[in-house]
Amino acid sequence: MGFQLLASRLLNPFFGSSLIVWAWLISTFLAAFSLGSIIGGWISNAPLRQRERSQWIAGAIAVGSLAFTAFYGRSMLGQIEIAFAEITTGLLVACLALFFLPVTTLSSFGPQCVQYLASRGTPPGKASGLIYGVSTLGNIAGVMLTAFVLIPHLPVSTLLYLWLTVALVNLTALILLLRSSPGNTAP
Amino acid sequence: MKARIFQIYSVVLILSCVVTAFAVEAPDYVENHDTLYNNLTIEKRGTVVELRARSRAGEYLESAVDLADPLRLVVPYTRSLFAAAFFEPNPANVLMIGLGGAGFHRLFTHAFPAARLQSVELDPKVWELCQERLAFKPTAQTPVAVMDGRLFVKRNREQWDWLILDAFRGGFVPPHLKTQEYYRECAARLSERGVFVTNLHQDTELFAADLRTIQSVFPKVYLFQTHGRGNVIVCALKSTVSDLGWEPDIAALEKLNPKLASKLDLDSLAAELLPFPVELAAKGRILTDDFSPVEFLDALKTNNTKAR
Repeated sequence: MGFQLLASRLLNPFFGSSLIVWAWLISTFLAAFSLGSIIGGWISNAPLRQRERSQWIAGAIAVGSLAFTAFYGRSMLGQIEIAFAEITTGLLVACLALFFLPVTTLSSFGPQCVQYLASRGTPPGKASGLIYGVSTLGNIAGVMLTAFVLIPHLPVSTLLYLWLTVALVNLTALILLLRSSPGNTAP
Repeated sequence: MKARIFQIYSVVLILSCVVTAFAVEAPDYVENHDTLYNNLTIEKRGTVVELRARSRAGEYLESAVDLADPLRLVVPYTRSLFAAAFFEPNPANVLMIGLGGAGFHRLFTHAFPAARLQSVELDPKVWELCQERLAFKPTAQTPVAVMDGRLFVKRNREQWDWLILDAFRGGFVPPHLKTQEYYRECAARLSERGVFVTNLHQDTELFAADLRTIQSVFPKVYLFQTHGRGNVIVCALKSTVSDLGWEPDIAALEKLNPKLASKLDLDSLAAELLPFPVELAAKGRILTDDFSPVEFLDALKTNNTKAR
């Protein structure tokens, strides 16, 4: 959600700050959450080797696409703005190009965390509630931190690099943690 | 005798109540509108219709029109916008970003009948209310586009003699309309002698950053202070035709445009010229598309009117 605030700051100079921008931005993020959760569900039930490979691929795509947004986001938006005279089409392309992939791949780790807890004996319902509860609290913290501390003091480009670094460190740690799941030690 | 005095007293009392009731004219109507971008109040009191927007500290007057005398500038700072005439007295093509109630437009079209005044307004409801409640009748010379002000400047390729930025949303200007990159886009759309005009709030932390950012794009920046209202109107030029010792040539403008001079006290407008606060501007940070925390700097302390 904090990334969503940054995304709006990135889009505003090119597409304005009208309701149309927010509608496309929120829809893109929700679609990415949705697809990411479905993909994460598949990965969590995949055979061990395929699951490990998928986790690294998802992590690499998440970091790579975040890096693309951080380093080339503005120049990409400039190109999209010129290429699409119609604002709605331009926004759709911009949101898909810059935000859909990182949010989808990051969201895919939610169900895998549920599976991780369930495989260690936590009842599935409890595991699911815990993961999504903690995730939502994290979103609140992310929004508040971004809105009231980070955006007032740091440029958007710096924050995107910060996001990229945090994603790289956290995803590496998370993937290593998921490998220690009891299901991963079975033959 | 006492009963007689009591009767007379009662009649006088009733009459005075009736007279008072008629003397204090009740508002003709008060309407509230929740729009896509604003919470607006339209109030008609006598012949004056006010358009107010709800903000953090209350309601602020965005625009007002006297229906009986549309050429009267009810909101004080709209008068200061005409300071642009000191720099470009013959505007043929003018862009105004932020329509509001079109209070500025009536006098402009009267004073510059041959000029074209293009307006851009983000909120379609503001545009609707402007026509229905504030009696603005757009013509081919006063077209209105409903879209974001930055997008309009980017996509429209015309050259403007005055480019007026007066786009407020609930008391503050959206961050992407406050950046160096946007001012550059505006400067690129100005004619050679064109004037960029914008309305700033003097008593906000944003003021220094605004001045520094505008100064980083325009070589000449002049300030006009709307007395007692906290508004400072910036007239920024991309040309360097005027020297440092420049002063408004009131006599020349009066001679050139008697219609404007008859409706506007040009002497008092010229007296609003402020020395540029060099030290204050130097303390501000240049706002860019990458760093523009407008909402946090714009701790709104004053506006067009006091909070209601």
